[in-house]
Parts: sequence; structure tokens; C-alpha cells
Amino acid sequence: MTPLNDRRDRCCHWGMSTTPVIEVERLNVKYGDFHAVKDLSFEVRRGELYALLGTNGAGKTSTLETIEGHRRPSSGTVRVFGRSPVERDVVRPRMGVMLQESGFSPDLTVRESVRLIGRLTRRTDDVDRVLDLVDLTSRAGRKVAQLSGGEKRRLDFATAVYGTPELIFLDEPTTGLDIQSRDHLWATVDRLRENGSTIVLTTHYLEEAQQRADRIGLMHDGTFYREGTVSELTRTLPAVIRFALPPAAPALPLHYVMDGDGKVAIETFGLQKDLHTLLSWAQEHAVELRDLEAGATRLDNVFRSISS
Amino acid sequence: MFSIAFSELIQLFRNRLVLITSFVIPVVVSAYFVRQHETFADLGSLGYIAAIVLFTVAAFGLYTTTVTTLASRRQNLFLKRLRSTAIGDSGIVAGLLLPATVVAVVQVVAILTALAMVAGGPANVPLLVVAVLASLAMMIGLGLATAGLTNSPEHAQVTTLPVTLGVIAVTSWVGISGTENLTVLKRLLPGGSATELAMNAWNGGVAVTDSLRLLAPTLGWVIVAVVLASRLFSWEPRR
Repeated sequence: MTPLNDRRDRCCHWGMSTTPVIEVERLNVKYGDFHAVKDLSFEVRRGELYALLGTNGAGKTSTLETIEGHRRPSSGTVRVFGRSPVERDVVRPRMGVMLQESGFSPDLTVRESVRLIGRLTRRTDDVDRVLDLVDLTSRAGRKVAQLSGGEKRRLDFATAVYGTPELIFLDEPTTGLDIQSRDHLWATVDRLRENGSTIVLTTHYLEEAQQRADRIGLMHDGTFYREGTVSELTRTLPAVIRFALPPAAPALPLHYVMDGDGKVAIETFGLQKDLHTLLSWAQEHAVELRDLEAGATRLDNVFRSISS
Repeated sequence: MFSIAFSELIQLFRNRLVLITSFVIPVVVSAYFVRQHETFADLGSLGYIAAIVLFTVAAFGLYTTTVTTLASRRQNLFLKRLRSTAIGDSGIVAGLLLPATVVAVVQVVAILTALAMVAGGPANVPLLVVAVLASLAMMIGLGLATAGLTNSPEHAQVTTLPVTLGVIAVTSWVGISGTENLTVLKRLLPGGSATELAMNAWNGGVAVTDSLRLLAPTLGWVIVAVVLASRLFSWEPRR
């Protein structure tokens, strides 16, 4: 995991500022009687990578589609670059969208698809450069129908980054990609951020959000369960020290539980102090703590805490 | 808009099934009417042949292509993709339908020209142009409305049948029996007044002002269809 201070340094170097690119204020989205998004408010600042995460049905797709301008809010306001996102001719040239599902015409070739969508964004770029960026040059003349799932995701990414927009929405960008393609995509995202682009990410791969997001909005039941940096989110749950004890070990000096693997698990908000206590105890009693692990809680534990 | 239209044109010519069912078959059927013009003129008039070929192209070609194209592009999320760009909704629809419309106009012009060459030309060409444009506009409007009820290209084979068969039936009914009886009903049915307008333009013998009044029901159908489309049409597949 990238340490937080490193990421902050990187943020500042990449020009993250407090100027909001996206402003969501008391957003509500309703489908008939179903209240999908409830009074949601947040901002995405220029240059940051903001991850919108949530449980299934949490309302993140409705939120994202409203910000992208695909649907109007039932109430509340959404501003992108200070304008309503439904003002397509003003907002869309400045933003790229990678949809969750491809949405390309199967009878068009890869090159024709990128050229068409690129032109319609009103940004300028070189189609060959963009195809090379996503490693689809060799597939340029193939029909979209002939592409694999991963290649379609890369094509989708190509149209999102065409013309290097200021704001890029990445909706499940790495789903279906092999590890090399994932690394390639994230390297490209890093370069876009160096160029000052703001990224809004949704993903089911929590480790990607944990490693890359400057801030995370964790949605549940139509609103934010938590919002903040990874550090802010994870510090609300205790760190865990986990190890296996030999038989007939003396009594531990700390409160513990046995986990499903038969290991001792100690939850603590004072990791350094309790780890020191534990190691001193082990030293004093000549006890080997096998498979010792200690660390702050992970994002997936925060995620699990939603349903507990 | 023209970028979308160009890409649609490419897709149209790459999809042989659409090309055959929507463009080749109407031309073949129309060619049969032109070849047998004496038989059909005895049954109705040359104006009837002009009207029936017009609606064969408009219904089997333009209307079904409109519905199928919109349903297909919606189903594979291409409409959503297009809406992620800077172009407006009207530009998207216009771009998607422009190639089919242009092809339909070319088909109608070619077939009516052939009919004029083998059987004699129309009495009033400008009026015929008005009739053709009004009819095509009505069928596009009905296509937009029908697309709102159509989930997929396969579903379009069912949802397009009532209008397609309906307007052909109305055209034949009006073309063969005239509008002396049940005048209001025949003129209010979709394609009824447009058929009479096309017949008047081809056959002559009716004052232009009287013929132009027949535009009202056709344009009324355009308005009804557009209102329906604005209520029924969705840009994304139904969940």
C-alpha cells in the first residue's frame, strides 16, 4: 500500500487544489417510490482521484450518472466546472467518461469508434496515439464485435482519455483486464494526473481505491456511510495484531479473540503500544509468535463494517 | 451530427440483413408495382401506384429501419455512449436517422421517376414533393414513437407490424376505393390523407388549395408521434 504521506506529496506535486471541479449539494434521486440517493453532498477537488465506493444498490451508479449528466436530480444541485452537467456542449468537451459497459457499435472498427467518439467530444487528439496508449494499435482495423472483453474495456478507456480531458470518470475501469493491462491503465492514469486531470473512480477492487484514491466516498443506502482519506476511514476501526500461539503458552497480557484460522487476533487502537507490550511479553516468556502480522485495518474491513 | 450519420451509413452497408430487408425488398416490391402499372392503374389509378410505392419504402424501409436502429443502438448502450459526448439529443437522433432518410428519399425519387418514364409523369411535381416529404416525416415520427415501445431489434419485428401493415392497408383502401365514402375516417387514418395528396399530385384534377388541406392530418400525425415519442422514448435499456 502506498503510504499516505507519499500520496500527499504526489498530490501536491500533481497540482491538486481545493478548487472544486464537482459540487454535489443535497442530491436526491428517486425512481417512483424508490429513493436511490438521499441528501448526498460532497465535492471533488481539482487534480484529485476521488473514489466513489459502496455496497450493491448503495446509489453510486445513480450518483455517478447524475454527475455525468445522464439523468437529472429529483432534487438538489450538481455542478461540474460550475455548470449543470446536462449542459453537454459546455461541460462534455472538458470531461471523458468510461462507462461501466462498453456501448460501442459492433459493426464499427476500433479506429472508427475512437474517431467517432473523439470527434463528438469536441476534443482534439491523434487517433493513432490514443490507440497506442491503450495498446490497441494492432486491433485498429477490427470490428468491435471481434474484440475480447478486456480489449473492449481498453477501447472504452481510449475514448475516455481522448484529448486528455480535465475530468475523467472511470466506472469499473479494470474489470475484465489482465494484470498487465491493469498496470498499463493505472500508469496512464498516473500520467493523466501529472497533466492535471481529475479522476472520479468507482471500482469493486478495494485495493485499487486504497492505493490510489486521495479521498473516498463510501456509500450505503443512498448516502455516505463514511467519507475521507483512506487513513481517515480506516482509523475508525481498530488495527489488528494476529499470530499463532504454541500450546501451553502463558496467559496473554492483552484481550484477544480466536479467529477462524485458529490464530489469536488482538484488536487495538494503540497499535504501537500494544505491539510493544506483546513483544515484551513474548521475550520475557520465550514464546515464539508464529506468523505474526500487525497493521492498520484495511478498506475491506471498513466495507464489511457497513453490514455488521 | 454528420459524424454519427457517416458511421450509421457505414453500419448500414455492413449489415447485410438490414440492407436486404429494409432497402432491397421495398425496391423489389416497388419495381413490381411499376412493372405491373397497367394492372394496378385499372384497380385504382397511377396516383395509387405512386402512393403505394411511396408507403412501401416509407413503411418497410424508413419506418422499420428507424425503429430497429434506435432499439439496437439503445440495447447495446451506443445511445448512452453518444450522450456521454458533447452532442445534443436532437443531433444524435438526426445523425442516426439521416442515412436511412436519405436512402428512402433516393429510393422514392428513383422509383417514381421510373414510374413516370414508363407510365407518364405526375400532374403536379411540387405537390408530389410535399406529399413525399410529409409522408416520410410522419413515418419517422411514428418510428420514434414505436422505438419507445421496442426493447430490442428482435422486438422491433413485432412492434413495427401494426403501423407497417396498417399504413399499407390504408393506402390500398384509399387508393382503390377513393375517399367519397367514409371521407373523414379515411383521411384521419395514418397515411390516408397523404395517400390522397399523392394521388391528387399524380393524377391532377383537384385544386391545389384543396389538396394542401390534406396536409393537416398528416402533420397532425407527425405532432402526435413526436409527442408520444417524447413520452415513451428512453435512451437506456429498461432495467
